[in-house]
Amino acid sequence: MSTAAEQSHTAGGSVLDQVGENIIRHVSNSSLDHPLIQLPNIWGIDLSVSKHVLMLWIVAVLVACSVIIPIRKYLQQDKPQPKGWMNVIEAVVKFIRDSIVKPNIGPKFTDTWAPMILTFFFFILFANGIGLLPIFDILGAFNRFILDIPAAPPGVEDHNFINSLLHGGATVTGNFNVTAALAMITFFAIMVAGSRAHGFINHWKNLAPHGLAWPVYIILIPIEIIGMFVKPFALTMRLAANMTGGHIAILAILSFMAIFAEMFHSTMAGMGVALFSVPLAAAISGLEIIVVLVQTYVFTLLSAVFIGMAINVHH
Amino acid sequence: MKSDQNNSWSNSFRYMQKILRESGPAAAASYSLIGAILLLGGLGYFLDKYLNTRPWLLLVGLFLGLAVGFYELIKVVFGSPKK
Repeated sequence: MSTAAEQSHTAGGSVLDQVGENIIRHVSNSSLDHPLIQLPNIWGIDLSVSKHVLMLWIVAVLVACSVIIPIRKYLQQDKPQPKGWMNVIEAVVKFIRDSIVKPNIGPKFTDTWAPMILTFFFFILFANGIGLLPIFDILGAFNRFILDIPAAPPGVEDHNFINSLLHGGATVTGNFNVTAALAMITFFAIMVAGSRAHGFINHWKNLAPHGLAWPVYIILIPIEIIGMFVKPFALTMRLAANMTGGHIAILAILSFMAIFAEMFHSTMAGMGVALFSVPLAAAISGLEIIVVLVQTYVFTLLSAVFIGMAINVHH
Repeated sequence: MKSDQNNSWSNSFRYMQKILRESGPAAAASYSLIGAILLLGGLGYFLDKYLNTRPWLLLVGLFLGLAVGFYELIKVVFGSPKK
């Protein structure tokens, strides 16, 4: 995909031809042909570090530094009294536990599942939030004007770390593989929750309501089994699509400038559109902040609801 | 004045918590409805592509998705709420 974009660059195609590719390149993972760190295949799985993998690590380190370590330190104190940052963490933890986990999962299993839901919350919040920061685009501008490391010509192996960092988006949760992995955790958590609350066999029996005529079960059991897979699928799609969609909207609105400048063959047209598209992009960025919070919240809420459904079976 | 303000803040926060608590199952059902149609419709679409049976599996998938989605919805709407 990136080679196609480079070719259109060198061929000097119209801006309209490049805009779509550039937008997709900015929200998708970096090209698999040029990973940041080349690692060998093991059991047919490419272990190379692409940009989203790097961002996953950054998110993990950030969560560890700003949530896990402060909490550990706080708990080691003799008389724990929350101060400053700990106050914020405590408020968030209390909110998640009391208004997401407890009402949906029930008081009996709150302490069992609250840690997992909280982990989801902090990880997704940080991953979504980092996607909003244009760190790498600033790095690109820095490189363009100050460091001046040239991009490798097309067809040549690109081992330049800074240039390969510029390909691909920074929003980890905009990648369907990441959200699918998160949803898979929910998928198994639902089974574990049901099995722990009712026993393994009873959990599967609980899937369909009891005491119906047998022909109903012929329809109901497949539907329930499909529904089992639909729940994590809905989680996967919703989070990734929401995170990608906002970025695409911002990029598309910003690229109006280039498109208009080319269409009217004047820089002034581009600058005139900038008066419209820059404030709009800024406004959408503001909206994105809300989307980041809401999507994080919805993912944790739905996970809690699904786990609660397996525990509190009421047919 | 200050305590009054604090009170209204905590009140609105508590009210938000209440609404969120009640909206959870509804959100789950609505997302499952969309998710079921997307998942099964998409599955049908790709199976169609592989088996060259266009458009039948897509249609079957869409209707099955509707059935599953509405079943999830019905379970939430008519399920006995714990009170």
